[in-house]
Parts: sequence; C-alpha cells; structure tokens
Amino acid sequence: MELVSRAQVYVVIPAYNEGTVLSRVVSDVRRAGYAVVVVDDGSTDATADRAQAAGAAVVKHPFNLGQGAALQTGIDYALAQGAEFVVTFDADGQHRVSEISRLTEALVRERADFALGSRFLGQAPNLPPLRRLVLQAATLFTRLTTGLQVTDTHNGLRAMTRRGAAVLRLRQNRMAHASECLSQIGASGLRYVEQPVTIEYTAYSLAKGQTLGDGVLILLDLFARRLYR
Amino acid sequence: MIAQLILSALLAAILLYAWTEYRRSPAVAFLTVAIATSGLYFVWMPDHSTKLAEMVGIGRGVDLILYVWVCISLVVLLNLHLKLRTQTELITTLARKIAITDAQSGNA
Repeated sequence: MELVSRAQVYVVIPAYNEGTVLSRVVSDVRRAGYAVVVVDDGSTDATADRAQAAGAAVVKHPFNLGQGAALQTGIDYALAQGAEFVVTFDADGQHRVSEISRLTEALVRERADFALGSRFLGQAPNLPPLRRLVLQAATLFTRLTTGLQVTDTHNGLRAMTRRGAAVLRLRQNRMAHASECLSQIGASGLRYVEQPVTIEYTAYSLAKGQTLGDGVLILLDLFARRLYR
Repeated sequence: MIAQLILSALLAAILLYAWTEYRRSPAVAFLTVAIATSGLYFVWMPDHSTKLAEMVGIGRGVDLILYVWVCISLVVLLNLHLKLRTQTELITTLARKIAITDAQSGNA
C-alpha cells in the first residue's frame, strides 16, 4: 500500500521544443496515475499539442522565458489545482516514472517538505566526465553559498509537499533556478531529504543539457541577483 | 569657480539619484554615493587629485579622473543591467498570469 495517493500528486514538466520525446514522457507519467501539467515555454514546435494529446494540462508561456520561469508557473498552476504534492520532472526522457512514488513516499516517511533526487547517490549511466565535473563544481558552489549539504544541485527531479511548494518563489528564469531553489529551501527552514535516483542520459538529453558556458552564465546570474532586491 | 559650481550641482543631482536607487539596489546606491562624494571632494580640492594620483602611481590628477570616469561608466552599465532584470521579472509575472488563466486541460 502506497503512503501517498497518486491523485494528490501533480507532476510539473517544463518543456521547450520537446515535441519529439514529450508524448512518451507524458503518456508514461499519466499511465502511472499522476496528474501532469506541461509548461510549454514558448516552443516553436508541436510541444503543446502533443502534451495535450497525451493527457497533460498545458500552460503556455506567450514567449520563451526559461526553465526556472516555467517551473514556477507549473508549481503555481499545480497549487491552484489543489495539489498536495508537486513533483518536477524533465521533459527529455532522462527521468524514470518509478522514481516519482519513491520521492513522494520519502516526503511522508521522513516527514520532510522536499525530497531532492541525487544522481550521485544513485546512478547516472553515460554521464560524460566533463559534465560530471561541471555538476560537481556546481554542487560545491551551492554547498558553500547555501550551507546545504546536498550531493547534486542541478537535478530536475524533486518532490515537495504543498507547504514546501508554497515557499518557493523562483526569480531566476534561466538555469540558475536550481541553485536558487536550494537557497530558498535552506532559508525556509523546512526539512529536506535527498533520495538516490537514476538519470538516464541519451544522445537527445545530452544535446539538450547544460554546457560549461551555461555554468559560467549561472554563476553570473547568481552574482547579479545578489545586487538587487 | 563657475565650472566648480556647475560640476557640484551635477554631482549633487547624482547623490539624489543614488538616494532614490537605494531601495532597489543598495550596492549600486553605495557605489554611486562613493563616486559622487569623491567627485565633489576633488572638484573643490583639485590639488589633492594630483597628490592622490602620484600616491597610487598614476602620475597626473587628470588621468586619475579619467580612470574614475571609466569606473563610473561601469557602475552605470551595472545599474542598467539590474534595471533590465527587474523589468524581466515583471514581464515574467505578467506572462505567468496570462498563461495560467489560459491553461488547457488534457485530452486523454
């Protein structure tokens, strides 16, 4: 018997030009019994149509704002629909649907408000060495700046309770939102746990992923954000 | 004397601007106040700029002022960048409200 009813869970999938893989991802999550909201972040392909055809609610940004903005939109939508648990999930097919229940159950079992997926506690087959290095540098930076002893900072697979989701207010529209999210979790004082997860890298997800240059932009974004209110 | 009065009036206006910017960005306001106050000081004590320039190894007071001007330009650029980010946040909030209002439910 599961600790969390799947009807209480909303899975938020931010998507930008993911028409080729999104149908399968949404179908898999829907088949598992979860409500799905796809935030189409100003795609120029058929992302929104395919997501809707596969059974997801679709929230469309009028133009491209970035993954951080899309996540916040999805979280706001899920809360407005009465979600008791919100899970963020990547659109590129690198997350496993079976991990969703493991994360939500960890919330209940550990009495936490955030369950953060960690590929470095779990597995990340086919993760290129350079990307591993960039991710580990980002983790070190986040540990130093937030004080949170996490092992994986840029993992899009995370679950949160309604109370946890309500304290998040992501203002970093682009990729720096992952560090900002952890910073806000730390500042909230709410309990978080890390859960081992498997991230399956494919040629498609690697082409969509972050580069070393993105890492530099993330640092600049985080620095600039500290200069104003 | 006329140039000193005009420059003082301009720098006083910059100090006022810094005060209005404080709520949005204390860092930018602080830098602006520091630069404008230094400017006021050197406008009325021009000899000191040459002495300070010699102390830091620049040579002439006018060169020091030129370098400081470059720094001021960078602060102006930073301020513009931060304002742009603030505008982007407002646009994001607006776009989000529109998107959620127009949300479509799934077909399956």
